[in-house]
Amino acid sequence: MPSQTTKSMVSTGGKLEKSYRHISESSMQTIWLVILGLPVHIVSWIYYKINFRHTTYQKQLHKQIEMMRHSPKYEELLERYRKQYRSKKEYFNEPILEDEMEQLATQLSDEQVLKLAKAELANQNMEEMNYHRFFQDCLQNKLFLVLSFIPGIFMYLYLLIYSNPFIRYIAERIVMTIFVIVSVTIFVFTMLYFSPTDPAANILGEAATMEQREEFNRQYGLDQPYHVQLWHAVKGILSFDLGYSYTGNEDVMTSIANRFPITLIIALWSLLMAIVIAIPIGMISAARMNTFWDYTLMFIALIGLSIPNFWQGLIFILNFSINWGILPATYSPSNWLSIIMPVIVLGTGLTASIARMTRSSILEVINEDYIITAKAKGLKPGPIFVNHALRNAMIPIITLVGLQFGGMLGGAAVTEKVFNISGIGSYIVDKQFIPDIPAVLGGVVYIAIVISLVNLLVDILYALLNPRIRSQMKNV
Amino acid sequence: MSTQQVFALKQSEEYKQAQFTFVISIALMVIFLFNVYDFSEDTWSMGWGIFSLAYLLISVLQGIITYCIKRDLLTEGTIQKRSRILGAIQLPSILVGNVFSTAFAFRMLRRKPSIEYTLSYFMLIAQFLIVGVSLFNVFKPYVSDKFMMTMTVLTLFLIMDIVLVLYFNRNDVVHQKNNKLKWLGIALFLRGVTGNLFGFILGYSLLVKSTNRDASAVDKWNKLWNKITRNFTAMLGLLFVIFTFAISVASIGTFVYSFASENNYEAMLLEPSLMHPFGTDNFGRDVFSRIIYGARISLIVGVVTTIIPFVIGGGLGAVAGYFSKSLDNVIMRILDVLYAIPGILLAIAIIAAFGSSTTNLIIALSVGSIPTYARTMRANVMMVSNLEYVEAAKALGESEWKILFQHVVPNSLAPMIVKATFTIGGAIIATSSLSFLGLGVEPHVPEWGNVLRVGSEYLETHPYLAIFPGIAIILLVLSFNFFGDGLRDSLDPKMD
Repeated sequence: MPSQTTKSMVSTGGKLEKSYRHISESSMQTIWLVILGLPVHIVSWIYYKINFRHTTYQKQLHKQIEMMRHSPKYEELLERYRKQYRSKKEYFNEPILEDEMEQLATQLSDEQVLKLAKAELANQNMEEMNYHRFFQDCLQNKLFLVLSFIPGIFMYLYLLIYSNPFIRYIAERIVMTIFVIVSVTIFVFTMLYFSPTDPAANILGEAATMEQREEFNRQYGLDQPYHVQLWHAVKGILSFDLGYSYTGNEDVMTSIANRFPITLIIALWSLLMAIVIAIPIGMISAARMNTFWDYTLMFIALIGLSIPNFWQGLIFILNFSINWGILPATYSPSNWLSIIMPVIVLGTGLTASIARMTRSSILEVINEDYIITAKAKGLKPGPIFVNHALRNAMIPIITLVGLQFGGMLGGAAVTEKVFNISGIGSYIVDKQFIPDIPAVLGGVVYIAIVISLVNLLVDILYALLNPRIRSQMKNV
Repeated sequence: MSTQQVFALKQSEEYKQAQFTFVISIALMVIFLFNVYDFSEDTWSMGWGIFSLAYLLISVLQGIITYCIKRDLLTEGTIQKRSRILGAIQLPSILVGNVFSTAFAFRMLRRKPSIEYTLSYFMLIAQFLIVGVSLFNVFKPYVSDKFMMTMTVLTLFLIMDIVLVLYFNRNDVVHQKNNKLKWLGIALFLRGVTGNLFGFILGYSLLVKSTNRDASAVDKWNKLWNKITRNFTAMLGLLFVIFTFAISVASIGTFVYSFASENNYEAMLLEPSLMHPFGTDNFGRDVFSRIIYGARISLIVGVVTTIIPFVIGGGLGAVAGYFSKSLDNVIMRILDVLYAIPGILLAIAIIAAFGSSTTNLIIALSVGSIPTYARTMRANVMMVSNLEYVEAAKALGESEWKILFQHVVPNSLAPMIVKATFTIGGAIIATSSLSFLGLGVEPHVPEWGNVLRVGSEYLETHPYLAIFPGIAIILLVLSFNFFGDGLRDSLDPKMD
């Protein structure tokens, strides 16, 4: 039992050492490493300074360099660099400056000598000792690991995450998402803070006295300085507590929570509709390339891409509700028929772009070598199309779906207004006239958060599914 | 059918265009037929009936021509002169607004189309449409002071265009020094200022070929426009875009702004008639004039909200892609924050903060599309800066900025231009969407979204108030998209 623990400890130490060596090549990440493991580094740095102040290596190196400087080889090097400088200046027709030439030649020769001296020492099996090397050796030491485990926990976590490319990729993406969410909050809040319109004047009316306005500002914390308000906003977003809206005095978080589901439901149904309709259309177009069907379907797709949502919604209401009376014109949660038109209207643009993307990405892969191989192997066109072409064409399509989903949530405001749906989009539009800062901020930022999370998910799935990216990550 | 015959059919551009024209004409006829009988009021519409009949005639003729072309191709391998002359019958179909069959007829009249011939007949069609639409002002109670003068100029241009079409139908333009063509080119170039941008392109084409330029420039130009002019839908898209632009310019002289902006309580909510082709709205304003004036705003906002992010995003992307990795990281991470908020939502937030006006709308829409341009530019710059000629420039000791803006950026512009064409369409939709929500252009300004907003309030009683501006938006956006598709095929066949 103890031997097993030792074994695993050694292998962990090796892993840590390897990933430390990797990280210490980049200066930015080294700084992080030092910050995260500060207590450990302080102790080990002092220890290193005391014990390894005068190493033989530096002396040897110095001796070697001096020796080389006095050999005829050094003069040769100087002459070579002078010649290089002269021919360069002659080529560009520039004057030759003696001072500059000497300076450059000496500098380059010294660099070369240093390199040669190091190589010579390496030949004699002498290694340079510096703090990085020292620390790497420490990481191999079992006792050191056990002692420094608690104070250096963050650094070790960082090193472990870094040692696995896949976990590292996911961790980087998560950190990035958190950064984006916080920055979006700061950006939107700052914009609303510097808005020239005064919510107090808009809500209380022009007749309100100065005292009333000040009272209003005090009530909602608008009299506080910028950084305090910003801190409240960021904290509010992250802790799901945004306070009360200026009009109606309702809890902003409850309003948003009540309105988010319907927007998401419509968006998800639209997405489903788009995928179910668009991918077969794209496949047909690609399979029957440059035929009547291809042209017609792509023409319709382009029209779908060019129709403004609100106009399509109005035309649907005009025909299906007013003229023919098949579907209800406005949305009501109790009637499932009323969701059909909003879903179609919201999903049209996405359907069109997915269909176009499917067609073009299939056409791109259909001429690849592996398709020809599959043909040569004697596979039937059907299996080739589905198993080889479509599967590989799916990668850009998934990216597009992930990206467009965000656009759809943003564009939902227009569709919601047309069909009188009280979703998050129409909430923001209703609140922006005042502007009701917590409501607009909450609405915009939470939509951005949902989109960021969806994109994070797509990216991780992508890394899991796409063999090309997987192998790329391993090579890094 | 033998493979040779199939090949002849597939290769023939005329045959494809004939089929396209046939299908479109039938589709339009069906739409018009649908409007002939009003179900709710049990009445027949005279105007729609005439249109339907005209389109029926055009479709039948087109069917016959298509059949002739197919028979020619199958038996002889090439289209015979008789079928080409038969195609010319379709020329007058422009009188009922069928630009498809007219363009097709012009195409049939020349065996091997040249860039100049195609551009000249599209210029003629655009000019004809401008004159025709402007002529609707005759039915108004009064016309603008400059109406007669402007119409005379426009008609003179129309005659000039007919002469040009006849000239280019007979003659090819080859690359050699030619003073006459040079002056014609300059004249056409200047004519482009009056709005008909086909003149601009045609004039430039003549200038490039007639003045003694190096052959590679001519070759490049020929390659680009050969591909675009052979793409029927791209040319039709360009036709409508240029028509919209030209009518906006011509409307300064031919339309009366007060019809579009001032209230007229004697003429509220009138049905479409010759005096008010698209009816009047709840304040008695002429919807037709409002849509014509709205084109100006839509185009300006669409183009400006594309140029601003093109320059800013393109510049940032180029710097990020070319210089050090840490600079790249800083720029792209900041842009990621903007990228996380969907365009429309960001625009709503910006307008919430700074109020709704045209300038704020332009800023709001521009900011949202900076990241996508930056990403496109960055990817291209990264690709191009690995090419040999950049390495050569570096070896010659050029300064980094000079290399970036003289060698790298010009060679990474093609996908950016294609992207820009597509985003103009998106910007037009976004503009009208925001106006529809009451967040865009000021409500009294005749902008398409504003016109539609009024129309949506009268959807039950006067649906045409909402239908016509919507069709205008779709046509313009669709045209930009068609042109963008064509441009992409000719500039960068691999990109999508």
